[in-house]
Amino acid sequence: MMLREDRSPRRYEAALKVRGAARFTAEIPVASMLHAALVLSPLPSGRVGRIDAGEALALPGIVRVLTHAEMPRIDRPGVLIPLQGPDVHHAGQPVALVAATTPAAARRGAASVEVAYERRPAILNLADGEPFAPKTAGRTATDSRRGDPETALRQAEVAIGRRYTTATNNHHPMEPQCVTAQWDGERLTVLTTTQAVFAHRLAIAECFGLRPEDVRIVSHYLGGGFGAKGGAWFPHLVMAIAAARVLGRPLRLELTREQMFTLTGRRQETVQDLKLGATKDGRLTAIVHESLAPTSMFGEYADALATVTRVLHACPNVATRQRLARVNAPQPNPARAPGEGPGSFALESALDELAYELDLDPLELRLRNIAAHDQHVDLPWSSNGLRECYRAGAASFGWARRPMRPGSLREGHQAIGIGMAAACYPAYRMASEAAVGIGADGRVKVRCGTQDMGSGTYTVLAQLAAEALGMSYAEVDVELGDSLLPEGPYSGGSMATASFTPAVETAARDLRGRLLALASADAASPLAGIAPERMSIADGMIRSGNRSEPVSELVARRAPQGLEARAGAAPEARPDFSAFGFGAVFAEVRVDSDLGEVRVSRLTAAYAAGRILNPLLARSQFVGGLIWGVGMALHEATVMDPHLGRVVGTSLADYLIPVHADMPAFDIHMVEEDEPRLGSGGVKGIGMLGTVGTAAAIANAVFHATGRRVRDLPIRVEHLLRPD
Amino acid sequence: MSKTHVTTTINGEPTEYLCEASQSMLDVLRDELDLTGTKEGCGSGDCGACSIIVDDRLVCACLMLGAEAEGRRVLTIEGMSHGDKLHPLQQKFIEMAALQCGVCTPGMLIAAKALLDRNPNPSETEVRFGLAGNLCRCTGYDKIVRAVLDVAAEQRETTR
Ligand code: FES
Ligand code: FES
Repeated sequence: MMLREDRSPRRYEAALKVRGAARFTAEIPVASMLHAALVLSPLPSGRVGRIDAGEALALPGIVRVLTHAEMPRIDRPGVLIPLQGPDVHHAGQPVALVAATTPAAARRGAASVEVAYERRPAILNLADGEPFAPKTAGRTATDSRRGDPETALRQAEVAIGRRYTTATNNHHPMEPQCVTAQWDGERLTVLTTTQAVFAHRLAIAECFGLRPEDVRIVSHYLGGGFGAKGGAWFPHLVMAIAAARVLGRPLRLELTREQMFTLTGRRQETVQDLKLGATKDGRLTAIVHESLAPTSMFGEYADALATVTRVLHACPNVATRQRLARVNAPQPNPARAPGEGPGSFALESALDELAYELDLDPLELRLRNIAAHDQHVDLPWSSNGLRECYRAGAASFGWARRPMRPGSLREGHQAIGIGMAAACYPAYRMASEAAVGIGADGRVKVRCGTQDMGSGTYTVLAQLAAEALGMSYAEVDVELGDSLLPEGPYSGGSMATASFTPAVETAARDLRGRLLALASADAASPLAGIAPERMSIADGMIRSGNRSEPVSELVARRAPQGLEARAGAAPEARPDFSAFGFGAVFAEVRVDSDLGEVRVSRLTAAYAAGRILNPLLARSQFVGGLIWGVGMALHEATVMDPHLGRVVGTSLADYLIPVHADMPAFDIHMVEEDEPRLGSGGVKGIGMLGTVGTAAAIANAVFHATGRRVRDLPIRVEHLLRPD
Repeated sequence: MSKTHVTTTINGEPTEYLCEASQSMLDVLRDELDLTGTKEGCGSGDCGACSIIVDDRLVCACLMLGAEAEGRRVLTIEGMSHGDKLHPLQQKFIEMAALQCGVCTPGMLIAAKALLDRNPNPSETEVRFGLAGNLCRCTGYDKIVRAVLDVAAEQRETTR
């Protein structure tokens, strides 16, 4: 079924944003606030010695310089909250905080603080670290095993084994992280760029020994997040709150773009070994996926690199193993499609290599290995639209005309290549509450303590309430991004919408029932005495037969202070099915034969991701996800100096994120699925899916164009120009 | 610290302010004049979020000193609409959902306006390269390019 974008409600807060009138965190003034700037360690490992702040304190506007000696102790295992001790674990770690009356004064102060260090040995490269097994990989088990993959590999009619690597990436939302912390005795208000007002409220309350209800977190507009404004931001958020407490004045800390390379998490680099075994006719018999990635000296984080490997294709014998090694580098964290992005690069590249070993069309190979159920957990799918994605994507892209032999398509001095990959992402959900109310003026209000990173949360909250109530979208107001609201989900793991949808729909239906009962029981209503089941609400009117009354009049008469219904929804404890969103990505690239420059000229993608609430905004999310795949494939790499342990090039001129001129023509297909079994109201989540498989589709297309198999991301000119 | 007195025109309004010699136009707009529609994505001229138009030229406000606005005409996003009447680009961005988080949006709109003022009939490639200095991490740019091309086509219709 084709979804209509032109009928989708427009973005709720767009009119504010196009005027520049939406106030982001750093734009909300707080009276008598101070500004913070950070002094950072240039060394990746060491111990802070004497800190001389004399010169800084003599500058105009400087109020105080805080070091680990003055800061309150905060006990939070596994997280490095800066200024808690003299030890330095990575270059760029804050060692002092300067508070001043203006941001410029704070920056000047920070530049004048002298810090002596004792240098210590550092591990700067992944290869030098000691591999160990992390407790978990993302939300999944570290290792997995089904069947006997080693024997199956030995006995396979065709087998390949390859190593793939992916680079460190930074999230770089366009809005830098910011916090303004304001203490009032034992009560705390925090305006911050957060993907999780409620999770941060709880964690902050724990850090400072406060009651959660005495902590208020506010984030009305959020300039992107992609993982960088959740746990990744937490340590520096807490540092600033602690500093505000010591200073006894509100304090704002706004990170610089440069600091966003080191203080807000990163997608970890990976080294992945993929072994595949198959029959001659292209049935997978074995997959072994082993990976190594770095974590910091103080925290343990592993992306779920093997999720896709475990479930995407049918295979009886699968083993996956993920290891970490500690390095003196910033803490890695989830970034859009955390492990599924890099993990699928390895898997889906290997599948393409296998297709060439078998001399079998890469799409045909995948069609022969569609998984009839989730073999990893041995449960049926809630639904699996992968076959339809393959069909719709291939047809629209024109895959059938692709010649198998690499290097067969040319146009002038450009080699043209075509590649594809499959994608999947788990449908996660968490508990959520929401309230839907209506006032005497007839306006509906949805209240939910979740956030809108730009993904469209305001819009879908309004839409869900309007549809379930029978009111028009324009009559709905939304409040979100505040921990005073009913507890909403965090924005991550593509789970916010799936989590709040059932809560909002239940609350709205409950409110609707109460409105109808009110009309039925009200002698003054034209609908008096009619059974609620025989009434309907549409366009703000309650109707039954030829009798009707505007909802607003009923509310004004019978509930002048308004009515509100609240509801909660939680995920099934033990679902008897497995829920994933699926997709297929088709890429066309053009490679300049003289310069080795790769351009993606077309991206066609088809997604089956449950119920789509707003096709217009969903398309934006899919395209947004795809360009993260383009960035991963061709542009993005946070380069660490192998000797100094510092990030090389800390600006957006050095770290390339895709720009207008890098964009292909997009062709997006949404396969709508009916998902009655999912308690999410059928929603599966879409934000991550576009970033899965995309890098592999592009790398596979580069192979098809040039005959060069690049197994190391990002693909660079030098990969394609070096002699064979 | 002694401050510089600046007399300028911002969004058609005669404006005066005091700024430090080293203060960027971006900081003047956001911190002194509370015109926070102009965004800061980097402070180093790499992202375009701070785009403004100064005497018909597209400028990164973070690379310009506040003192340099003396005697000039400055246009920021706040001056792009007239009361409730949005600029056609703003209208089209809403219609086509050419924005997500909205941090790049003001700069994108200002840069698009500067582009169309200079070249009312741009090709898709000219739009893509003309706006290549305006980074967006959310949208994938697709709808932005389409919105700009649509507005260009509509404006040609009405001026024909
Ligand atoms: S803030 Fe001026 S270009 Fe980024
Ligand atoms: S809409 Fe978020 S950066 Fe462009």
